[in-house]
Amino acid sequence: MSVSQKFNHDAILGDPPTPSLEEKPAADVHPEEAFARIQAQTRRHFLRSFTAGVGSMFLGSLASNCPGMACASELNIDGTQRLDFKRDPTRPLSVLPPEFTPRAKRIIYLHMAGAPSQLELFDHKPELTRLDGQDCPESFLKGKRFAFISGVPKLLGSQYPFHQAGKNGLWLSDRLPQFEKHIDDVCFIKSMHTDQFNHAPAQLLVHTGNARLGYPSMGSWVIYGLGSENQNLPGFIVLVSGGKQPDGGKQLWGSGFLPSIYQGVQCRSHGEPVLYLQNPKSVSRALRRDELDAIDQINQQQFEEFGNPETITRISQYEMAFRMQMEATDVLDIRKESAPTLAEYGCKPGEESFANNCLVARRLAERGVRFIQLYHWGWDTHGTNKRDALNGGFNDRCREVDQPIAALLSDLKRRGMLEDTLVVWGGEFGRTSMRENRNGQTTEFVGRDHNPGAFTIWMAGGGIRPGFSHGETDAMGYEVVKDPVEIRDLHATILYVLGFNYRQLNYSFQGLDQKLTSVKPARVVAEVLA
Amino acid sequence: MIMSVRQWPLRDRIGVFTLAPIFLLLGLLLFFPPDGAQRSDWAQFIGGFHLLTIHLPIALILLIPLFEIAGGSRQFSYLRCSVDFILPLAVFSAIIAAILGWFLARSGGSSGPLVTQHMWGGFFVSVVCWLCWMLHGRLPSRRFDAAYFAGLAIAVSLVSFTGYRGGQLSHGVNHLTEHMPKPLRNWLGISQEKTPTAATPDSFFNARVEPIFAQRCVSCHGPSQQKSQMRLDTYEGVMRGGKTGPVIKAGDSKNSVLLQRISLPFGSDKIMPPDGKPTLSADQIQLIALWVSAGASPTLAANAIQGAPATVVQPVAELTFAKNDTVTVARQRAPLAEALASLQKRYPGIIEYEARDSALLTINASLMGSKFGDDDIAQLKPLYNSFSVADFSNTAITDRSAPNIAAMKHLRVLRLMRTRITDATVLAFGGLNELESLNVFGTGITSASLKTAEHLPKLQHLYAGETRITTSSLPPNALKSKLVF
Repeated sequence: MSVSQKFNHDAILGDPPTPSLEEKPAADVHPEEAFARIQAQTRRHFLRSFTAGVGSMFLGSLASNCPGMACASELNIDGTQRLDFKRDPTRPLSVLPPEFTPRAKRIIYLHMAGAPSQLELFDHKPELTRLDGQDCPESFLKGKRFAFISGVPKLLGSQYPFHQAGKNGLWLSDRLPQFEKHIDDVCFIKSMHTDQFNHAPAQLLVHTGNARLGYPSMGSWVIYGLGSENQNLPGFIVLVSGGKQPDGGKQLWGSGFLPSIYQGVQCRSHGEPVLYLQNPKSVSRALRRDELDAIDQINQQQFEEFGNPETITRISQYEMAFRMQMEATDVLDIRKESAPTLAEYGCKPGEESFANNCLVARRLAERGVRFIQLYHWGWDTHGTNKRDALNGGFNDRCREVDQPIAALLSDLKRRGMLEDTLVVWGGEFGRTSMRENRNGQTTEFVGRDHNPGAFTIWMAGGGIRPGFSHGETDAMGYEVVKDPVEIRDLHATILYVLGFNYRQLNYSFQGLDQKLTSVKPARVVAEVLA
Repeated sequence: MIMSVRQWPLRDRIGVFTLAPIFLLLGLLLFFPPDGAQRSDWAQFIGGFHLLTIHLPIALILLIPLFEIAGGSRQFSYLRCSVDFILPLAVFSAIIAAILGWFLARSGGSSGPLVTQHMWGGFFVSVVCWLCWMLHGRLPSRRFDAAYFAGLAIAVSLVSFTGYRGGQLSHGVNHLTEHMPKPLRNWLGISQEKTPTAATPDSFFNARVEPIFAQRCVSCHGPSQQKSQMRLDTYEGVMRGGKTGPVIKAGDSKNSVLLQRISLPFGSDKIMPPDGKPTLSADQIQLIALWVSAGASPTLAANAIQGAPATVVQPVAELTFAKNDTVTVARQRAPLAEALASLQKRYPGIIEYEARDSALLTINASLMGSKFGDDDIAQLKPLYNSFSVADFSNTAITDRSAPNIAAMKHLRVLRLMRTRITDATVLAFGGLNELESLNVFGTGITSASLKTAEHLPKLQHLYAGETRITTSSLPPNALKSKLVF
């Protein structure tokens, strides 16, 4: 990377020409500053750059002479050509084509934090209903760890009736009547499973491919690989629906070891969309521009001195924030939608709700935002109180998401966007076939414990086989018996839909070609592709 | 009493030094036995010379008793003198061949009883020959030199045994008896049955069991990899088993390791296939179990077991990723590269290749909104033939662009949402033979446009919401399922 690269905001689409930094010659440094700079150079600086310089000269000569070494950086470990994700450092979000022709170019990911019960929504288990109230067989408990279940719990049949719907007779419960209209558009994977049984690590695994902190989220990988079409908005936007924040915290949309420009930007659906985005009173846009120019100039000097790419990230984030002042305010303002549309989604402008977020998601998708991550909350139905019970708060949760999701799917379909948008719905794990008996007690509220052994997700849109159900669980809905799908398989499938071989979307860090799917081999779930 | 080594006869001195390679060999065999793992090419290459050098010591060791016997006759008495030379030669060549043999076995991935017997046979041949050499002519009377002749006899029988094992290793276990005529076979009492190494072609194994292994197991236990030293690509390999011994106990599926490992619950540490790969289906497991219970026979007929499940292999659509052919792609892109670069500069961020393996382009002008119009489309003329996806939604384009868009012959997806186009534009699209998706949502077009749309051969979706086309305007039947409102 050349250190003399200048930041140039002329290049960005639709921006008014602004004075470029290059107009100020670099030599024009105040003598005092020049003196300060010289003084800032210590013997340590000299020794450090000297040794590093000699080392890199040696390595450089190796690389140019030895063909094996020169190629090493261009090849993946499996010998395939490494994809090049280098960009102009001043435009880190510029669009790069995917590896092969994609089926979808953006993602709307609906995460139901807390893990919704597959047994009350999609996974129909008549045998479990028949055995409702009986002691759980010992084989279910042996060698298993539960968050709360203790002793011998009772089996718990589905709390709500199931029926078949759609052309292909897919089963679902009566809790999602609006969503049911789209059953022929979605593809269920009923054989998802995970190895994490607590919310935060399980959510991290779903979002970053790793149960530990410090790995980039799916959205970060996607915009690292593909960039963002709209330079006036972040490529990866996160919206939460009030209530509780997801247990996994902001790491769920963090960029891990990828440059921080690729992290998700959380927008608020209530009040100002992005905090501190707007100019304070009495600061005009022109004044802000001048201020940013000055800051950019200082940052540019920093970059020339130290060459740290994070400095460029900072410059481009300031610039994006400036451009976002116009566009973000506009795109997040759902009052601009017609009354029938607001009614279709069930939006109440000004409120912090999943419904509002679904409508915002469609507006963001229309403007070329690559990865839109929505969170809903409160699905952790242990049955310890009314709010967290299958016969309590669960109903409210279903109602909160049913109509907006149905409206989002209809809206995308009508506008022809469902063909290149992938919509994913899911939680972080499933729920047990047994009734939770926290502290050995049963209450009037019904709930289920965490079950990493099986859960259901669905996908719709870009390249996904509509009206299909993949995988099966056992008669109790407790464990996967047919076509198990790992989280990394889901990730590989999502990346495939976006036009990537999951092995090729990688980033060298700590001696590994790091990938969303982590180190174990993944499988694209070809059965769910259209 | 104590003689300096220098005063020893030459033979004794050399003999003592020869102990060094013998102990080296012993150490190699004891501490680095062949363990079935493949090792470096170099070691394998060196080991290859074992087959070349092995015949010299064999010939020499057989020659020595011949010379001794023939030397008894006065006519050939001079032969006895050569034994003093041939014996050490046999010892040296045997040791060298044995060390090369260790290279071959250790690096070539061999293991098992045959190799072990062959290996120790070779070692003891060297030791016995060395003893013979040391004894030769040392005792006062040659006539009573019984120990020496006993040693020679042992050496000859060891050479025969070791050579036979070596032959079995390189040419198969039955290489001697395989084509033995029946009468001779009967006389020797060798069983009629050849040990099966392969199942018969139409056997239960080949028709119904092997395909399961081939699909689910052989990638790790087969020709390319032999994890746990096991191969499941042949009947012989299945019956031989792996590092820990046989995995099939004929007639006893419950105690066959292979069945135990594939029937573990999903997610167990030891389940095969491992690492969260899909388990074998219940039918597949049952089929293998039935075959093992029936005796794991290589000849059992394919339909011999009543009630065996019919499904053998479920077709699983496995995706493979094509290698990116950068050279071809670069060649396809070359003619337009310059025009593209200049237009990308003029319209930054809206024109891109569809994929890294493609020369086709996508354009998304919708983000420019009203800043993009008819004149801009005209500017793109050099690229018309390369567009596969074009989004002009929300732009200022009008019917004036119709002929230009119609010239984009390779369009798969065309979006004209909320533009000012009318029927005239859509009617110009008759030649877009590759168009799969046409989006005219929120435009002023009417059912008149449907006439063209009806004849687009590949069209799958026509997004016509918020236009003047309505469900009541009764589109032609073929188009009805493609219309989305």
